[in-house]
Amino acid sequence: MNNKLVINFIPGKTTLHKMAGSTKVLLFVLFTIAIIATFDMRVLLPLMVVPFAAIVSMKPNYKPLIFLFAFMIVTVGIIGTVMLLVVSPDVGLTHVGSHTEILQVSDRLYVTSETLWYVLVTFTKRIASFATVIAFVLMTTPSEFASGLSFLRLPYKVCIIVSLAYRTIPDIARRFIDIRNSMQMRGVELNSKRTSLGKRLKYTGAMLVPLIISSFGKVETIANAMDLRGFGRLKKRTWYAEHELTRADRIARAFSAVFAAAILFYILYTKFLNPYPVTMWCPFVKLENITKVNVFDTLFFLKWFR
Amino acid sequence: MENTTVKAKKSIGSLIVGEWNTKTIVAIAIGAALYGVLMVYGGIPIFTNTQLSVAMIIPVVVGGLFGPLPALVCCGVGNVLADLIGGWGMWFDWSIGNAIMAFCVGLLPVYGARITEGIFSVKHAIIYAVCCILGNVIAFGVITPIFSYLLYASDLNITFLQAFAATLGNSAVLIIIGIPILILLAKRYKARSNLSQDKTGEY
Amino acid sequence: MEETVIRFENFGFQYKVQQTPTLYDINLSIRKGEKVLILGSSGSGKSTLANCINGLIPFSNEGTITGSVTVNGLETRSVSIHELSKMVGTVLQDSDAQFVGLSVGEDIAFAMENEATPRSEMVPIVYRHASVVGMQDFIGAVPFDLSGGQKQKVAIAGVLGSDVSILIFDEPLASLDPQMGQTAVELIDNLSQNDEHTVIIIEHRLEDVLHRRVDRVILMSEGRIVSDSTPDELLQSTLLLDYGIREPLYITAMKYAGCSIPDNSNLCDIHCIEFSQDNRKKLIEFFSGNPSVSKASAGEEVIRFENVDFAYDEGVNVLNDVSFSIQKGERIAVIGKNGAGKSTAAKLICGIARPQKGSVHIGGTNAKQLSVKEIGEHVGYVMQNPNQMILKDTIKKEVEFALSIRGFGAEEIRRRATIALNACSLYSMRNWPVDTVSYGQKKRITVASILVLHPDVLILDEPSAGQDYKSYMEIMHFIEILNREYGITILFITHDMHLALENTDRAIVFADGRLIADDRVSSVLANDSVIQQANLKQTSLYTLALRLDLPPEQVIWRFIEHERAVKADE
Ligand SMILES: Nc1ncnc2c1ncn2[C@@H]1O[C@H](COP(=O)(O)OP(=O)(O)OP(=O)(O)O)[C@@H](O)[C@H]1O
Ligand SMILES: Nc1ncnc2c1ncn2[C@@H]1O[C@H](COP(=O)(O)OP(=O)(O)OP(=O)(O)O)[C@@H](O)[C@H]1O
Ligand SMILES: [Mg+2]
Ligand SMILES: [Mg+2]
Repeated sequence: MNNKLVINFIPGKTTLHKMAGSTKVLLFVLFTIAIIATFDMRVLLPLMVVPFAAIVSMKPNYKPLIFLFAFMIVTVGIIGTVMLLVVSPDVGLTHVGSHTEILQVSDRLYVTSETLWYVLVTFTKRIASFATVIAFVLMTTPSEFASGLSFLRLPYKVCIIVSLAYRTIPDIARRFIDIRNSMQMRGVELNSKRTSLGKRLKYTGAMLVPLIISSFGKVETIANAMDLRGFGRLKKRTWYAEHELTRADRIARAFSAVFAAAILFYILYTKFLNPYPVTMWCPFVKLENITKVNVFDTLFFLKWFR
Repeated sequence: MENTTVKAKKSIGSLIVGEWNTKTIVAIAIGAALYGVLMVYGGIPIFTNTQLSVAMIIPVVVGGLFGPLPALVCCGVGNVLADLIGGWGMWFDWSIGNAIMAFCVGLLPVYGARITEGIFSVKHAIIYAVCCILGNVIAFGVITPIFSYLLYASDLNITFLQAFAATLGNSAVLIIIGIPILILLAKRYKARSNLSQDKTGEY
Repeated sequence: MEETVIRFENFGFQYKVQQTPTLYDINLSIRKGEKVLILGSSGSGKSTLANCINGLIPFSNEGTITGSVTVNGLETRSVSIHELSKMVGTVLQDSDAQFVGLSVGEDIAFAMENEATPRSEMVPIVYRHASVVGMQDFIGAVPFDLSGGQKQKVAIAGVLGSDVSILIFDEPLASLDPQMGQTAVELIDNLSQNDEHTVIIIEHRLEDVLHRRVDRVILMSEGRIVSDSTPDELLQSTLLLDYGIREPLYITAMKYAGCSIPDNSNLCDIHCIEFSQDNRKKLIEFFSGNPSVSKASAGEEVIRFENVDFAYDEGVNVLNDVSFSIQKGERIAVIGKNGAGKSTAAKLICGIARPQKGSVHIGGTNAKQLSVKEIGEHVGYVMQNPNQMILKDTIKKEVEFALSIRGFGAEEIRRRATIALNACSLYSMRNWPVDTVSYGQKKRITVASILVLHPDVLILDEPSAGQDYKSYMEIMHFIEILNREYGITILFITHDMHLALENTDRAIVFADGRLIADDRVSSVLANDSVIQQANLKQTSLYTLALRLDLPPEQVIWRFIEHERAVKADE
């Protein structure tokens, strides 16, 4: 069950797994910021490759990952693109800065090379973000997550929330199965061959109430157990999961410092010192040919008011 | 006989923040986990990035029992967790939107609906419905698009369509399922008083 | 005079949601270094009393306090739960909830983390505490990989973390197998000796706790303390019977033999009890009678396992090549080590787990063709953990649930529910929400919710865990009627050898996923190698037999026979 959710409870054996929680969270945050900060394909590509390399280095169980990846390609990639082409075929003009039609179906339905570039860039960004998340989830246990967040100076109560929530997820899945079993054993038929889909949906819905009530019912016992051992007494707290730094940690920390500086400089440079006129750089659009469009002019519903 | 359960009237500020004791923390955490799981497995997609999701029940419950800020944290964390286990990457724009929406949904104690004391009237239900709709409009009509545009350069037309779908879908779930749940919860807490052994009475 | 660490004075407590107080007129003082056992029927307020010491009352459970309770001289009401947590360590009744860390090490360290102890200091302390309870090799293990007994040990190590001087154990033995239970009792005893720990144990299994010295026994009933005495005094009196607590088996045996109890000294330890001349003669005479031959059971077959293999995770078999068969109307005890696969076998019968190899037959049909619901029409399973079963909000609704799903009429539902609720001593609480009852009461709710169904086969997983003798006897009585009148087949999964001896004819013994014995209960319990392998323990009857130089199997057999005769008379 753990594998299906990709969540890790036992620290793995590879170099990345063995790093301290603080380093993992630090790297995750930096990569996420970097991926958000840039729309430049030349920067995004390396940002995408690194997490993929990290995933491979951890020798994970690929089965669930491939499923997630396929799911992502279909929803964000295919459905998202079709949607975009229908709703805003000229989005490339807004973000890339020109309009080169390569296929015209009708008046309102056409494809421009800029829009395709826009799709490619945003999709790369999504994939990079996906890979970063997966790499992080694969290498981090809930406690490391908490201790890492605490390293970033988040209040420890928030860190505990994250770690408790994260580790409760498999419990919820288990609880759901318990409820299902308990209902079936007492006479509710949920076997797909023996009842209609409608009935099964109805009963699945009926399972939600005990699921929620019993999950919240556990709050008191867990809180009591924590209180009894002095949780929340002091303003700060240490973390048993935060072990001594390994060599990989020190290298990663040094890298993080450089990386953080680079990100800061990049943001300052591209947003303030030398801003690019439109959102994204594109190899086949020359700087001098760029047309700038006001975003609000592209909004379909604002046009109704004109 | 001494009475230790006298309570001072609470200020609006403390109602918004809620009581951050261990119980609240654990409840937020469990709520976030439920929210995350239900986001991923408990919804019917109605549009890209939006779904008719039973996860919306969670901010109602957390908000009703603990107040708006706990609801906000719960859904913010829950959404991040959903992103982590759902395998679709991080969408902070939507996490922030959901958190803000949860805040509005969770305002219940601020306008006097004390679920834990069994107080939830028609008036509260109406205010609640208005809060839900306004909350969704603010969260997904304003906040999420701003972040979507800035962080991900999402196309605004799509974003607004999504926002529209999300507002409709969420409000529907929040009102159609949320209100009965609140009534149920209030009843549950009300039943939880003056328990006595009743050896003879009617079955 | 030694100093008093805990003092209750005219103390009373009423939960906010209750109409009447749960505790009344408590006057009690416990001295430093004492080891105190609290006995009492389920729902008598034992956990509530413990929670008044550790501060959960009034800080977590709201309610009204009267009188005073002081811990180390401090009025608990006026300090905080955190302040108290530095002095009092509690192992809660529900050991799953107790596990707050993600791994064993982390859980043991939890209290120290909250003290902001640097990690470098924590690591050796965690190792030390883990070794105290014998878990040093499992520091990295996660909770799902641990058996119930191991979790209990971690919980004990966890309270050591905060260097507390008062330790409270709320039913530490409830789900441990007999040997693990003995180890836990020894462990707790070592704690009370090595340091200057004051230890309070709440437990129904009196005989097991008395395996090691206890200074004082406090007996509670309906929220009041009814007796406060040494174990010897208590055993000599008739209080235990009066308040529905199970006395040690050897005491019962002596009573059956007509011995005069107060004539013997060292009553609380079967190994060094000194029988008077007269009593010894009576005992030997009583046990010398020849046991009558048992009736052979021959009904149609209701359950058959054929070479069943099962694994939760691929490659790790939890059950290996298990085969047995059960006839209609039999009463069977399923016993064995913690984690041996007993509950798993029950899940296989119910179809919520399916065998990887081999087959399970229910009433002659291969279970493969049946859905869980269809099996459920024949088999009722009361799970080990009541929290896994409860679906509804109030006790009444929970008990009625299965009947209403099956479309019974209102009148029939009411009739059956009333009978089942009465059998489980819950009738007067039927309208209560399920989460305001004690653990033992919760367990009884799940028993009642299955009993209403009158299934052909009834499986009860640890029915006696957390139950006092009286309510347990009532349940057993009801089940026996079902067995006699409807020919219902009954399986008890249990760690309670008394239960197995008294209520079943045959025992199926599991150890590490294998079936290692399938025989009469008294023969199994007289077989040393089976006892060793399955972590069982000789009952005190066995020791009694050795002390009297009689064959153990004969003693056990005579005892059961007499007991059944006594019960039949009632
Ligand atoms: N949280 C609670 N809220 C309201 N009432 C409660 C609560 N916990 C216990 N009670 C009531 O107090 C009484 C005593 O409960 P308590 O848990 O102290 O019993 P106990 O002696 O520990 O029983 P057991 O052996 O079954 O654990 C019960 O009748 C129960 O209904
Ligand atoms: N849902 C599960 N997933 C994975 N492993 C499990 C699960 N349930 C039980 N196990 C493992 O299977 C083994 C047998 O468990 P089972 O619950 O059948 O033991 P048991 O004999 O009932 O023990 P106990 O006396 O402690 O209740 C144990 O090692 C346990 O860790
Ligand atoms: Mg109790
Ligand atoms: Mg079991």
